[in-house]
This record gives sequence, C-alpha cells and structure tokens, in this order.
Amino acid sequence: MGTIRFREVVKTYPGKQPVIALDRVNLDIGEGEFVALLGPSGCGKSTLLNLIAGFEEMTSGALSFNGGTVDSPGPERAVVFQEAALLPWLTVEQNIAFGPSVQKRPRAEYEPKIRELLRLVGLERFAHSLPSQLSGGMRQRVGIARALVMDPKALLMDEPFGALDAQTRMSMQQLLLDVWQSLGTTVLFVTHDIDEAILLADRICIMSARPGRITREITVDLPRPRSVDQLTDPAFIRHKAAIMAEMREAQKEHA
Amino acid sequence: MNDAPARALDAAPVPAAPKVKSRGLFPAGRTGAAMRAALLPILVIVAWQLAGSGGSLAGGVLPTPDRVWDAWVVWAFGPQGMGLNPYSGTWLSNVLFSSMRVAQGFVLAMAIGIPAGVMIGWSRAVSGTVDPTIQLLRPIPITAWLPFSIAVFGIQDMGAIFLIALGGFYPVVVNATHGARDVDRNWIRAAEMMGASRFDVLRRVVLPAALPAIFTGLRIGLGIAWTAVIVSEMVAVKSGLGYVLWDAYYVGRMDVVIADMLSIGAMGLLSDRLIVTVEHWALRWRRLQSASR
Ligand SMILES: Nc1ncnc2c1ncn2[C@@H]1O[C@H](COP(=O)(O)OP(=O)(O)OP(=O)(O)O)[C@@H](O)[C@H]1O
Ligand SMILES: [Mg+2]
Repeated sequence: MGTIRFREVVKTYPGKQPVIALDRVNLDIGEGEFVALLGPSGCGKSTLLNLIAGFEEMTSGALSFNGGTVDSPGPERAVVFQEAALLPWLTVEQNIAFGPSVQKRPRAEYEPKIRELLRLVGLERFAHSLPSQLSGGMRQRVGIARALVMDPKALLMDEPFGALDAQTRMSMQQLLLDVWQSLGTTVLFVTHDIDEAILLADRICIMSARPGRITREITVDLPRPRSVDQLTDPAFIRHKAAIMAEMREAQKEHA
Repeated sequence: MNDAPARALDAAPVPAAPKVKSRGLFPAGRTGAAMRAALLPILVIVAWQLAGSGGSLAGGVLPTPDRVWDAWVVWAFGPQGMGLNPYSGTWLSNVLFSSMRVAQGFVLAMAIGIPAGVMIGWSRAVSGTVDPTIQLLRPIPITAWLPFSIAVFGIQDMGAIFLIALGGFYPVVVNATHGARDVDRNWIRAAEMMGASRFDVLRRVVLPAALPAIFTGLRIGLGIAWTAVIVSEMVAVKSGLGYVLWDAYYVGRMDVVIADMLSIGAMGLLSDRLIVTVEHWALRWRRLQSASR
C-alpha cells in the first residue's frame, strides 16, 4: 500500500549532448511515510518524481510501486503539479470530478466526497468558478482536492507551493499537514525550501546536481502533529542548522 | 476576435466597465463607437455620389449609389418573371442558393476538417500518414480545381459544394492540427494520472484545448468558402449570387453587379458573426480568463 522503491535508477535524456538527469539513484519510501526531496534547480527532482508518476521511462535500473512495476500514470499515484495544471474550461467542481468521472465511478459515490473535499480546502463558495477566477493558492488547493478525491496510495507533489507568496504558502503547508495527518498516505514532496522540507517531512533526501544523485538522507524527528508555528521552535532551528551543515558537506564532496 | 463586448458567466460577478470619457467628435459608449465606424463608409458613398453626374461616373461605366440602390430594390422586391428585367424579384432566392451551398460545403469541411486536424495534431502516426498528403495538395488553389470539379460533378450543385468544402477544409484542418499539437503537456499528464484513457484525453483535454484554434480556422475557412461559392457559381452553376454577378456583368448591368457584390459582403459578414457568436458561447471560459489577467 504505497511503497516506493528506486534501485540503481538511471535516467538519461538523449540528444546531441545527452543529459544524465539521474545517476544510479536508490530510494525507499515506506507506507505512509512523508519524504521530501530537497536540492538545487536542475538536479533531477522533477525527473525522479516523473518516473514514479509514470510520465517518463527510466533508462536503466529497477523501479517499483507497491512491489509492482510502473509503466504508466495512474490514479493510485496522484500528482500535484507546481502550477496546479487545472483544466481551464472546467469549473472547480468539474476539475475535481474529472478523475472519478473518467474512471466511471458512480456519481452518487463521488459527489458527496467532492463536497466534503471542497469544505476541507475551503472552496465551497467557489465550486462553480473557473480556475482563472481563483488565486494561485486557491488553484493549488483545487489541485490537492483533485488528487485526494481519487483516494491515492501515494501523493507526488512537485514544488506545489513554489509559486505562492510566503503567507499563502504557510497556510497551504498547514493544510497539507492536517490532511496528511488524517489520511496517512505516502507522500513524495519536491521542494528547494529547507524550512518547508523540515516542517513537512519524516525524512529529507538531499540531491546534488550533475549527475543527479541522492547524497544524504536525514531523518526529521520533530514530534507530530506539527504546525507552522513550530517554524520558530528551538528544536526546529537546531534541525535546520544540522541540515544546512549536511548540505554544505554534501556540496563540498560533490564540488 | 475579442471585438465583441465580453459578457460574464451568470455566476461570475465582473466589475462594471469603467466609464470612458468621450474623445473628440463622438460621444462615449456604443453609440459613439457605431458613429465612428460609420463615418468612413458614409464619406465614401457621399463622395462617390458627388463624383458622378447623370447617375454614373468613370465615363458611364460605374453607376452612382442611388442607381445601385434602385437596382437592388427591384432585384429584391420587383415582380418576378416580367421578361424585361430577368433579375427582378430574384434576390432572395439567389442569396438562399448561395447560402445553402456554403452551408452544405462548410458543414462538410468542418465534419472532415475538425476530426482530421485534431487526430493529426494528437497522434504522430496519423500525422505521418495523412499530413504530407494534405500539405502536398494544399498549394493547389481551389480555382485550379474548377475544371476537375466540373468534369467530375458536372454543371450542378455538387461541383460547387465540393469546391467550398475543399476550400474551407484546409484552414480548418491546419488550425485544428496546431491547436491539438500545442496542448499544455501538464494538462495531458494530469488527465492521465487521473485515469483517463487515450480516448478520454482526446475528447476531454485535446479537443477543448484545441477549440480556440479550431474557431480561428473556421473563420478563415468560411471566408474561403464564400470565395469558392462565387467562383464556382460564375463558372459551373446557373444560379446564386456568383451566377448573377457574372451574368449581370455580361449584359452591362453594373448597378446589379455592385448590388450583388455588396450582398455577398453582407452575407459573408453575417455568417462570420454567426461563428463569432458560437465561439463566444463555446469559449466562455477563455473570456473570463482574459478579463482576469
Ligand atoms: N525533457 C528533457 N529533455 C532533456 N533534458 C531534460 C528534460 N527534462 C529535464 N532535463 C534535464 O535534466 C536535468 C534535471 O531536470 P529536472 O527538471 O528533473 O530538475 P529539477 O531538479 O526538477 O529542477 P527545478 O528545481 O528547476 O524544477 C536538467 O539538467 C534538465 O535540463
Ligand atoms: Mg522541477
């Protein structure tokens, strides 16, 4: 139920000068675990996430989800995109209903669920609005609701709050913490914000660029449930200092 | 394409348009805009009327506007079958002949062009097999197809409809192809991760995403369809605005020729407005988008 496993996974983008986006990556994510992928731009975070999402094919290695191979995208691995990627001609409600409806699930089953999710993400009043009428944060909340409505086994999030202002970002982080706390789905969360990674994750995988590899894994043992208020806790600051030291260390090794 | 006033969806409150201060000659708002638009045509007509003497100008070749108007009134409302004036009272039937041909040909162009274009843009296999042939045939102007069309379909409606469909088909298919090719990759990925089949993606993502481009193609295609109907009626069919145009020229009735030209223009404009209306309805989501940016 929601385990992710990378074994010596290599991803090369062909071309005149082939790009080795991922070089022999190993990663294990357990059931219900929240893992953050932290690294500088271009180090292959999206590539890694796209492989497990089934959007792209690896060049070599072994990749499994729940013990099975991954060959195409599917609703058990829901993706939340950076810019939400909502369908602009559908209303908020229709966007959330897209998954259940293409899966031919009975309307009577998913309609109450959509109403509940709209309440959860605070968008009841905007059920019939179009994405273009929403703010960036609201759009991202629709993106999350659209993923959750499918009862995914894993949530794959690629810098979902990267484009938001600090305040909105914090309220989205709290929302995600609360949702995850109550659902317990496996989460793979891509970010380049250290605070965000510490606040959200059980474990942080630090990546380095060229070639893209996971260089460090750090366990975050802050107590749960967490809240954005902890951003200023001494324990949080201590973690942050340790992680920054680790990242500097990693950078030196790979310079 | 955004020349019509944007109207909001029922549910969406949109702030009232800011009051525009009147600039120069014309009052602000719609009336002023209409007056501004009418200025140039009125000036041309007045100048044209004043330049003529005794009802014509350019050495008697061009009739003045009042003569054209008179000719049109007889053409439109005169008694039929009076021998003296073969055009009397036949305007409506000729307009209908041409319009019906355009409608039939254009429906054909849409019925083939939209699905074909979307498929070409969406599937590399379809693109590889069909697109080269289309690109090969496309440079042949529809006028060059006339003899072929007459030889195959004879002097009758089908020949005209073939030309109209062909002429309208190219812009429709080319624009639909572009629209379907340029779909945001993340929209397709999002649909796939939600469990959409290839066909779901085509119908529920690619087609709506291509719609703006498709409408652009429809508008261009419709313009070409009117060109095609006039050309084929001048040569290959014995009725319609194109036929009257050529026939009236032959017997020296320039007043009817000009009335006919204006009628064609009016019909072209009318049919374009029809598409724009449908477009505005179908792309409501887009107008809101541009209004909010
Ligand atoms: N489709 C592609 N074709 C060729 N090269 C690609 C492609 N996608 C990514 N790359 C390259 O692979 C490397 C990793 O890219 P990726 O998008 O995974 O980085 P990232 O860590 O997500 O960066 P960012 O934080 O900026 O999103 C980069 O060097 C990028 O240029
Ligand atoms: Mg990325």
